[in-house]
Amino acid sequence: MSELVLKTEDMSRTYTLGKRNVLALSEINLQVKRGEFISIMGPSGSGKTTLLNVLGCIDKPSSGKVLLDNIDVSGMPESQLYKLRREKIGFVFQTFNLLPYLNARENIELPMENNGKSKSERNSRSRELLGMVGLSGREEHRPQRLSAGEQQRVAIARALANDPAIILADEPTGNLDSKNKKEIVKLLANLNLNHGTTIIMVTHDSEVAEHSERVLLLCDGKITKEKQGLHQGKKLKCIKCGTKLQSANEKCPSCEKTAINDSSVDPAHRS
Amino acid sequence: MSIMISIPAGIAANQSASQQLTGDLSNTITAAEAQVNQTLTQIDVSLTPSAPQGFGFGGGNLNLGMIPGGDNFAPGQFGGGFARGMFGAGAFGGGSRNPMNESYYSDLSTIAHVAAVAPILTVSEGHNTTITGRNGITFVRMVPDYTIQGIPLVSSLVENYRILPQNITAGRNLQSAESGSVLISANNSAYFGVGVGNTIDILGKSFTVVGIHGSTGVSDQLTLYMNLSDAQSLTNNLGYITSLQVFADSSDTVSAVAADISSLHGELDVTTSQQRLSTLQAMQANNGERLQIAESTMNQIQTQAFQEIVIAVVATSLIVMFVMLYTVRERTKEIGTLKAIGFSNWNVMSQFMLEGVILSLFAGVIGVIMGTVAAPFLSSVLLPRVNPFGNLGFGGGFGNPIAATTEVIVDPQLMLIAFGGSILLGALGSLYPAWRASRTRPAEAMRYE
Repeated sequence: MSELVLKTEDMSRTYTLGKRNVLALSEINLQVKRGEFISIMGPSGSGKTTLLNVLGCIDKPSSGKVLLDNIDVSGMPESQLYKLRREKIGFVFQTFNLLPYLNARENIELPMENNGKSKSERNSRSRELLGMVGLSGREEHRPQRLSAGEQQRVAIARALANDPAIILADEPTGNLDSKNKKEIVKLLANLNLNHGTTIIMVTHDSEVAEHSERVLLLCDGKITKEKQGLHQGKKLKCIKCGTKLQSANEKCPSCEKTAINDSSVDPAHRS
Repeated sequence: MSIMISIPAGIAANQSASQQLTGDLSNTITAAEAQVNQTLTQIDVSLTPSAPQGFGFGGGNLNLGMIPGGDNFAPGQFGGGFARGMFGAGAFGGGSRNPMNESYYSDLSTIAHVAAVAPILTVSEGHNTTITGRNGITFVRMVPDYTIQGIPLVSSLVENYRILPQNITAGRNLQSAESGSVLISANNSAYFGVGVGNTIDILGKSFTVVGIHGSTGVSDQLTLYMNLSDAQSLTNNLGYITSLQVFADSSDTVSAVAADISSLHGELDVTTSQQRLSTLQAMQANNGERLQIAESTMNQIQTQAFQEIVIAVVATSLIVMFVMLYTVRERTKEIGTLKAIGFSNWNVMSQFMLEGVILSLFAGVIGVIMGTVAAPFLSSVLLPRVNPFGNLGFGGGFGNPIAATTEVIVDPQLMLIAFGGSILLGALGSLYPAWRASRTRPAEAMRYE
């Protein structure tokens, strides 16, 4: 559990807006262990998205280092970075960003398009992933025929396509209603729990954030506070009676309540 | 796209038409020259001026539709029958020839160096027809049905001089002292509906068809030959002839003989073969000059068409470029997404190039279909008067100009060029937008709505 999948060393990011320099991130030192589920919270303009973009290699730090699987990516040219993004990182966006003219399966196959996998390999992998996110049988549906929650599941499946080291989710529940929000959070929590997927999630929603292990508070480009989430140390317990659970949507054998559902429906049940 | 295709198609069609014309004209002139060279010692004498009427370039040869049964430029219809000494007011001149007294015959026979004299009577029979010229003026013209040519069937003439047709396609030629027989042309045969051995009725008198002569290459297609005495009695011209063929004893004395005839009878019109030859050569030069004008017109049109194509190509590329730039802008977020999930610059660029090319491919298919359907119409609008002769004021005002623009060939090669061109233009126009797309920075693209 001690293996670091992501590490930043005094990482800063400065934007130039006209003649003014804006410090979006200031000397961030972050360590992410393999299998962790981290939430980043903070007010608008605190640098959450910038942090995620730099971690996801679609933006570069102005100074400092970003180590992804012990590789320093901060100085890497674009001709190598794209491979890193393809193989090691899975992006999940607030607006899903599925290609509207491709169906669910084809959207999931996009990241596998250029890395030498055969068509049948891609096909079976995309079917497997659709099953994993609970959308078996919807392979041929285009995004406009899927609900918002279903679209986000397809997007999560797409992010998982190349079995990345880390999933970066930028407000994955921001565009969803409360029911779908729960579904997506449950899905991410289960992926983390059952498949050991490392997840870093930016969110505004403290309820959503609480389901991760660590919650980082970002303010003015600095990590100002760190607290523990409910989903800690893989010791998932029923919030009502304390029974140890295997999965976030498993019903508690003793009190018949589903861990995550109940906690987000009724915060009073926690504590 | 369709304009791009139709212009070269129209040019190709017109060029082939002009090449056809050139070929036909030079064939005709060559054939005529050969004829003239064979009869260098021959002098034609008549009371009718020879050059203007039947021979004039404008009158006979381009006046299409005037000649019955006329394929436009069949070599045989060139110039109304000058090969057989009717150079001037020939069979197609309208049938009006001034008859002259047979006594000229004996007068001319006495001139020094004259080897032989053949008196000839030419009478055309036909019907009147009204022709409306391009300017709306109507003309009544006689369209000849057939031309009777009376030839003196005297053995000394028939055996030594080419006064009868030389190529007999069926039956036999006329013989010395033969009477009541005719040698007809293929056209006559069709007109009268008779063949060799049959009897035909000409102006109320019966004749036996002994043979059919082929066209000598220079129109005698409507001419039937008979004995001079038969022709004279048949047409009520006893003692009259319309022309004389005088043969000098050698080609060196031709000019002297011609001069003697003129001094003896100033009223006669004398034409030597050499004069005819020089006329022909002048005609050929004239013809060449006109072809040159036609060619330069054609070249001008081609240059113009080329310029139009260049403009079309530039415009097309620009349109493709702007459309693709718009598309790239519209899809910035999608491009950002693709890059975030691991598409390389090259992947993105080839994606957009491919889209541009496929778009142009569809345009190419539609363009080729449109061009094929619309080219004839477009061509007649764009190139209304390319016909090199029709628009140069020749043709004597009677004939219809040849409608060379009505036939447009859209050949497969041209289609392939248009097709390949559209793909190339698509690629060209997409190049910059695709490059722009590939340079999109994903972090910024994500913020773009």
